[in-house]
Amino acid sequence: MKTEELKSASRLDRRDFMRLVATTSGVVAASLASGRLAWAAAKTPGKINAAFFVETKPTMIAKGEGWFEKMGGAKFNWSEVGSGAEINTGMVAGSFDVAFAIGSSPTAAGISQGIAYEVVAMVDNIGPAEDMVVRKAANIKSPADFKGKKIATPFGSTSHFRVLGFLKLNNLSERDVTVLDMNPDVEVAAWHRGDIDAAYVWSPAKAKMLEDGGELFSTYKDLDAHGYVIADLIVARTAFLREYPAAVAGIVKAYGRAVDLWKTKPDEATAIVAKQAGVTEAVAKHDLSEYDFVSLKDQLSSEWLGTPGKPGKFAEVLKRTADFLVQQKSIRSAPAVSAFQKAINTRFIEQALKG
Amino acid sequence: MVTGAVQGWIRRDGWLSTAAVLAAIGTWELLSSFRFVPPDLLPGPGAVLRAFVYMLHNGYRETTLWGNILATLYRCGAGFFLACVTGIPLGLAMGYNAKIGAAFDYMVQFMRPLPPLSYLILLILWFGTGDKSKIALLYLTAFPIVTSSAMAGVRSVRTQKVQAAQSLGAGGWQTFCYVIFPSALPLIFTGARIALAVAFSTVVAAELMAATNGLGWMVFSASHFLRNDIIILGIIVLGILGILLNRLILMLDGAIVHWRGVE
Amino acid sequence: MLAGLPGDRWVTLGTLGVIVLSWTAVTSLGLVSDLFLPGPELLWSGFLDLVQNGYRSRTLWAHAALSLERVLGGFVTGAIIGTLLGLGMGYNRKVEAFFSPFIEFLRPLPQLAYLVLLIVWLGIGETSQIVLLFLTALPVSAVAAMDGVKGTSVLRIQAAQSLGASEWQIFRWVVLPSALHEIFTGARLAIGVVYATLIAAEIIAGSTGLGWMILDAGRFLRSDYVFVGILIIGLMGLGLDRTLLTIERRVVHWAGKA
Repeated sequence: MKTEELKSASRLDRRDFMRLVATTSGVVAASLASGRLAWAAAKTPGKINAAFFVETKPTMIAKGEGWFEKMGGAKFNWSEVGSGAEINTGMVAGSFDVAFAIGSSPTAAGISQGIAYEVVAMVDNIGPAEDMVVRKAANIKSPADFKGKKIATPFGSTSHFRVLGFLKLNNLSERDVTVLDMNPDVEVAAWHRGDIDAAYVWSPAKAKMLEDGGELFSTYKDLDAHGYVIADLIVARTAFLREYPAAVAGIVKAYGRAVDLWKTKPDEATAIVAKQAGVTEAVAKHDLSEYDFVSLKDQLSSEWLGTPGKPGKFAEVLKRTADFLVQQKSIRSAPAVSAFQKAINTRFIEQALKG
Repeated sequence: MVTGAVQGWIRRDGWLSTAAVLAAIGTWELLSSFRFVPPDLLPGPGAVLRAFVYMLHNGYRETTLWGNILATLYRCGAGFFLACVTGIPLGLAMGYNAKIGAAFDYMVQFMRPLPPLSYLILLILWFGTGDKSKIALLYLTAFPIVTSSAMAGVRSVRTQKVQAAQSLGAGGWQTFCYVIFPSALPLIFTGARIALAVAFSTVVAAELMAATNGLGWMVFSASHFLRNDIIILGIIVLGILGILLNRLILMLDGAIVHWRGVE
Repeated sequence: MLAGLPGDRWVTLGTLGVIVLSWTAVTSLGLVSDLFLPGPELLWSGFLDLVQNGYRSRTLWAHAALSLERVLGGFVTGAIIGTLLGLGMGYNRKVEAFFSPFIEFLRPLPQLAYLVLLIVWLGIGETSQIVLLFLTALPVSAVAAMDGVKGTSVLRIQAAQSLGASEWQIFRWVVLPSALHEIFTGARLAIGVVYATLIAAEIIAGSTGLGWMILDAGRFLRSDYVFVGILIIGLMGLGLDRTLLTIERRVVHWAGKA
């Protein structure tokens, strides 16, 4: 804009030209300054309340190595959660500013219900990383074999979303199959005692149950094909990201750095994740490779989150997820796609990639 | 005083009670050491004792045993105290004045059968994930109990006594302080005892959601990590605390309301 | 319940009206988000929805019935055995001495804490829930029955004895009627505690029932279902208490009060 004005200025006489240059440079200088001010002179929060999962993902690297705190510019008050539903409850209650790896299903529910947060980045595209583990002794070979059995899954999570989808696709009702609400570590304990026949969850719990007399009953391909795509996201309270945009950009940058470490130096990344998640390096390596950790740059593509002004396809994934939840009566209603598009805020990814 | 206590103990066949408890512990030890019950289902008294000693030195998942006890007692005490401070005056007013009673009674009666855990999630949404929501839960649980008891206490005062006081020239306030309130005290204390017991039960339930310390949290957390020895330890500590709290209020009751049962 | 002069009824209705009005006002003005406090219309539509479409493949009444079954199952067994135990403890000092440490320990013990242990031993499901409720009711009924027996006037026992009554006759016609009031008070207390414990048990170890329904709805922040569930649970609890009160009035009246 500014260069074109300057070019056309050559057609004016000298005095007008000088006046134009003066005003234009003033405008340019002012906008650059205010732009920079908005990011740099933004105050840093005293403390950032963050919710997180103990999980085999690069979030553990950025947390464990202190990158979130360093680049976010403040001390973190970490609260461990067991499910996205807990994150939603905490957000409504005002207990969290930022949440890492909340699933697309609870996020869709939250946006539909008007929880004031925005998606600032993706953590991953889940795919095979969350799937059904069945007890070998339960002899479950086909979907119909689930009748009369107990499946445990954290209610309100992406795994729960997949379980409901699985039941629907295979014409099973919750009278045929008992679905129990359990957080991941509760599931591991119940599994060990023999209380449940199957569990749909993520690692490290998934890996522990597989080691403990379990086998994989793969459902993800079928579910993904039918549109039950699930992903994990980073969300931040709207009021928080408006007040402290630099902190949020720093947080996103820290996560991007962690993903880069996994892609460029997988062994080093695996070691850190293993230690933070309390699993062996072999398990960590296997779990990490099941996820599709979309790089920050790719998240801006139209496949995923898109850019500010040009929303990507992911908003539609959220919309479809919300519609399914409405069908299930889990939420009352789902807004139009535009609401989800508005709730995805990729300014921070752009800012993170710049710096 | 000691001989009196010992005599009381003998009179109540205290030796039989002690023997019963020892027999129970002995049976427990036998069941576990002879593997009648698998050790991972029922750790023996020795294992629980070892867990106790270990916890005294190293804590449990970044909490100490003493810290958990204090956290639980604080929540219980705060909720109970707030309930008494607001509920007893309201109950007295409700008993004294029929209109106030009519205004609030149905609310109080509806709150009583409402199971605390059913509305905990709402309290967490309203008050956050910290101690406030738990104290609010305990307050709402204890409040209807003390209020009802205070109201019943005032209503139980015999009209003859009130009339007697008034015929001696006592004013409204004096009648209240010296006749009505003391006569209501026995029932108020009974209500307080029940309320404290219920609050103690409920605080453990409150620590089920969004808690990071406390005895209840400790028991639930231990169950997630298959630490049955810590579960049993937590239960024993909770049981002893419950008995102590009950005895404490009984003592206060006996000391303050020495006119209980005297008509 | 609504005691007092007819004028007081107006006070009751008046305050109730004020509450409903302010609730409607606050929610329709949008002062409070739906998530925190759904308005009356939302609650009503939620209730109709639950009645018509049920919740997770079961009707609302099915969930309520399941909860009620568990309450009654645990309460009845616990109250009967507890009362028998309490009668024995009241009569015989040695029986009291033997059982009292266990009763005194069990009574204030937070139910959820030993539910965890029961789950370890009995797994998740109906069994651990019913056993929990049984253990919840037992000490309450035992103490009530024991107090009832001990509270019987000695004079009346002696009077009966002087008339040549047998032990059984003394129990049946003097002690029992005298203790019945305490036993019923204990029963009402027991059912209250059992009911509260049930909801907690369903939240931890259940997959059906009203308590479980609230938990599930709460995970998705469906406040309308949560509120409707709480109201139904509250009303059901009130109903159970009033039923026992009515039974007591008829039975104790029947046996003749002093």
